[in-house]
Amino acid sequence: MPKHIAILGAGPGGYVAAIRAAQLGARVTVIESQALGGVCLNWGCIPSKALLSVVELGDKIKKAGPMGLHVSGPITYDLSQMVARKNQVVAGLVKGISTLFKAWNIEHVEGTGTIEDRQTVEVLLKEGTGRAITADAIVIATGSSWPNLPQFPIDGRQILTSQQLMDVQQIPSRLLIIGAGVEGCEFACLYSGLGTDVTVVEMMERILPLEDEEISSMMTRELKKRNVTVLTGTTVEVLDRNKTTITARFKDGASLEFEKLLVSVGRGFNSHGIGLEKVAVQTGRRGEILVNERMETTASGIYAIGDVTGKAMLAHVASAQGKVAVENIMGHRTTIQYDVIPAGIFTLPEIGRVGLTESQARERAEAREENAQASLKIGRFRFAALGKAQATGETTGFCKLIAHAASGKILGVHMVGTHAADLIHEAALAMQVGATVEQVADMIHAHPTLAEGLMEAAEDAEGKAIHQVRKRTS
Amino acid sequence: MIPSDLRYHQEHEWVRVSGTQATLGISHFAQDALGDIVFIDLPKVGAVVKAGQQIGEVESTKTTSTIYTPLSGTIAKVNAELKDHPEVVNSDPYGKGWMVVIDLSNAGEVDKLMTAAQYEAFLSTQKH
Repeated sequence: MPKHIAILGAGPGGYVAAIRAAQLGARVTVIESQALGGVCLNWGCIPSKALLSVVELGDKIKKAGPMGLHVSGPITYDLSQMVARKNQVVAGLVKGISTLFKAWNIEHVEGTGTIEDRQTVEVLLKEGTGRAITADAIVIATGSSWPNLPQFPIDGRQILTSQQLMDVQQIPSRLLIIGAGVEGCEFACLYSGLGTDVTVVEMMERILPLEDEEISSMMTRELKKRNVTVLTGTTVEVLDRNKTTITARFKDGASLEFEKLLVSVGRGFNSHGIGLEKVAVQTGRRGEILVNERMETTASGIYAIGDVTGKAMLAHVASAQGKVAVENIMGHRTTIQYDVIPAGIFTLPEIGRVGLTESQARERAEAREENAQASLKIGRFRFAALGKAQATGETTGFCKLIAHAASGKILGVHMVGTHAADLIHEAALAMQVGATVEQVADMIHAHPTLAEGLMEAAEDAEGKAIHQVRKRTS
Repeated sequence: MIPSDLRYHQEHEWVRVSGTQATLGISHFAQDALGDIVFIDLPKVGAVVKAGQQIGEVESTKTTSTIYTPLSGTIAKVNAELKDHPEVVNSDPYGKGWMVVIDLSNAGEVDKLMTAAQYEAFLSTQKH
């Protein structure tokens, strides 16, 4: 008899775990009440990129005239058609998962699962009846939930989550975005592109507060270029909902009126109401499920992966955790490593990052009682100095590489610019295999490409970038 | 090349003082060093600024540089034209490329700034 694994949730953690488990010979049942693919595929990463790609194309067409491409008439966005196309893209990918499930004989049970004991999941089926599923191991992949903060009551009409905003079919005139993190900045780019008057408000002193400071300051300028009003170090104190508008009063007393408000702060963990208490699965202070590096919870035979574990809340981390969980269930001793996690931010232009920011690298150096200035070497290179960037007209952006001076070990790489989220993977691979900054600089990079930017940044860290004037010593 | 009726700051800003107001921009040397300017971020009218403070940024295809004010006061006017035409600072740094007008709160600060002759001498000490 093959091992039977029950997986709660079919997001990028759960569905990937299911397929890997089936590849390893398990019988797999996935319990999911909503669409396969979870938030990422249905209401997050994929649909937002589908919409952003249209604005990116529009931006290109707006710049086409001086390049010799003349498009007659003004550019107009048809948001309802954009949303319809987005839904088609999503539906196609959801069907793709369903096809993979069939190919691997993975059973999809449509319903909501609750853990009864270490071998049993009780499912409330979509049609209202119950069904008990017994399994040798259980993987919890229930994800995280939409913001629900008392000061920003989501009503789906004026105060929205990003999920709801992505299905709005009429371009709002004025949009306030609460929180200038990844999602807030992506939506600021999307809606400013559509012609909405966008304001983003961030409680911290800078937008994208978790990114390298140079990335934040460049993206601040890019948002301003898009006519986005950027308010940092402040919060909304009072919201007044009127019939057609919302008035937001800020900490400094200023009041602004908006048509819609997007809440991009405060995701919660979906660890309640799934029976954790019955099997003594422990959660942390924030409600996240505690796991070890094999994704085991405190209850033997029960694993947890993805957002609900409160690690890096990224789709690709959930997938990696999912593979580790089922490999361990199937007797392979693999562990998760969080040191090298590349991530993309799909602003216009894109951001790619991996490893430490400069301030994190400095803090760690100081913690080792090293002189941060002397122990780090930092290289930078601007896209504008790349032949490929000039040829294509995509000259905005830069690459920043942070390395440990003595060992040449690469600690972090941060990029802004077209294709940055793709380009970051060369840096991630270098970090994963322990390549030094010298080795990256010495590797032949094809010309003309944007990838040359990483090579030049690595060379700049050594003070020998070719296409950059010598650093001033002042 | 260096207008004689202006005063200059070592960060390569110029000011034209008229009564209790001063107009501020960046010098020809600064725009030449920056290269093609693509974006200028300026403060809002009404902002209170202190001498030596960063008040904005200039982004060129080569680099990004900070705009400092050598004078204290309140921003009275901002050159809105630069939002869509930042390249004006390249073509006319001392004229149409002006950036802000400041209502001065301490006119005495002007005396600390370089004259055209002093700025010219200062530039000759700067490595390009």
